[in-house]
Amino acid sequence: MGSALVFADVNFAEGAGVQILKSLIIFAVVLQIVPIILMADRKVMGRMQSRYGPNRVGPYGSMQPIADVLKLLSKEQFTPRSAVPWMMALAPMISITAAVATIAIIPFGDRGMWGGDVGLYGIDVSIGILYAFAFGALSFYGPLLGGWSSGSKYSFLGSMRAAAQLISFEVAMGLSLLGVIMSAGTLSLVGIVDQQAGMWFVVPQIVGFIVFVVAGFAETNRVPFDLPEAESELVQGYLTEYGGMRFGTYFMAEYVNIITISALVTTLFLGGWHGPGPDALGPLWVILKMFAVLFLFVWVRATMPRLRYDQLMSLGWKVLLPLATLNALVTAILVVVT
Amino acid sequence: MLFEQILFFLAAIAALAGALGVVILRNPFYSVLALASHLIALAVLFLLLRAEFIAAAQIVVYAGAVMVLYLFVVAYVGGIDEPPKGEAGAAATQLAPVFGAAIAIEITIAVVGTGLAAIDTQGAKLESGFGSPGQIGEQLLTKFLIPFEAASFLLLVAAVGAVVLARRRRGLEHLDEPGSEPGPDSRPAMEGHA
Repeated sequence: MGSALVFADVNFAEGAGVQILKSLIIFAVVLQIVPIILMADRKVMGRMQSRYGPNRVGPYGSMQPIADVLKLLSKEQFTPRSAVPWMMALAPMISITAAVATIAIIPFGDRGMWGGDVGLYGIDVSIGILYAFAFGALSFYGPLLGGWSSGSKYSFLGSMRAAAQLISFEVAMGLSLLGVIMSAGTLSLVGIVDQQAGMWFVVPQIVGFIVFVVAGFAETNRVPFDLPEAESELVQGYLTEYGGMRFGTYFMAEYVNIITISALVTTLFLGGWHGPGPDALGPLWVILKMFAVLFLFVWVRATMPRLRYDQLMSLGWKVLLPLATLNALVTAILVVVT
Repeated sequence: MLFEQILFFLAAIAALAGALGVVILRNPFYSVLALASHLIALAVLFLLLRAEFIAAAQIVVYAGAVMVLYLFVVAYVGGIDEPPKGEAGAAATQLAPVFGAAIAIEITIAVVGTGLAAIDTQGAKLESGFGSPGQIGEQLLTKFLIPFEAASFLLLVAAVGAVVLARRRRGLEHLDEPGSEPGPDSRPAMEGHA
């Protein structure tokens, strides 16, 4: 083991000091994307709907996220009489913890790309993508407990929808990645990016890519699949009884999840740090590709109407799951034959 | 290492507390939550044993999917603070501790009798790649092929059986017509739980 901070079998780890520094930088940089995407979400969607979007706070409305956060911070936390207060406080924390933890395995660059024997990623765990799925599984508890403990019918129905939806699409999401994992021959995200030097996996694994992106939209409760918080039916779903920064925490967790999904799409299908120019530009390419996927998220939000609940479940179980299974099967045959 | 020891005791205490909570807590919703925390603590113990794949599988399958489905069902059925008394009579109440003690003794004998020789202060020898997904997959498809296939067959039978049972009870027919309303008895019994 490389250092005292490593409890698990990892492919490569630096000393403890470098690791702490690295994690601070990664989280500082990635969490800065949250206000940017928050702003882009409203600005880009505004333009797509022939309006300006927020333009009052700061130049071109660029200070709007700060105003939003200040508003949330200064608002009252309220708890319904029928609620379970400690669990209502705990649930958003579960969401944000699970969301942020996944950022640790996103590779922004290879080992030694910026000089020194330092990998430009949090940690390269041997179970790779399974780490992301483990924290994805824990994030189910956020909406579920939040909605249940609110003690309100709307919250309860929203949280039940969230649980059913997340579980359904998690299956399709996992299966859609089998093709990538078999082609790369490794679970490690750094290894998977290495394998994409010649050709990005989006070309041979186009079916897996589509299934993963659609399931990713569902996992993050984004618009065509935002049934857990469908405001026309459920007020605000599991968020109904939340206010102030607890609501803000859920909101932030949702955006961190979107960033994580786009980072995973970049890593698994879009070639990660590979791109023209010198090697040192790797992290720039990762960020650029992430923003391209994030733009897709906003674009879809402005374009698609919300699905009906039975349509959502049919899509998950009758379309995405068979497609992903077929993709895994065909890839397995091709990997064995070639 | 000190860190590992601290982590071990924290996880062990959490696992025991979670297991106790499952049995002691009255509200089934909290029982399931206690079970989930127990499973997460077990995953931490697996991590300390350098079994990352098992730990991740434990979280994804049990703490994630299975426990969320349990919560789903328990939440819909309603958080009953006093579970209904079973049909079991006085004989069962008196025999239960006896059987419990018998199982505890049995497990103790089994554990002490087999694996403990390898667990001394040094721990078992750790080969490189031990517990990696690749190694587990290879073992499952060579040395343990028959148990592996038997387990998958068993799971298939269980899944098909669950569907057949649900259909026989006339629980799922109304779902076949798209857009039809679910029956009046399938509404959530959400009565508040404070």
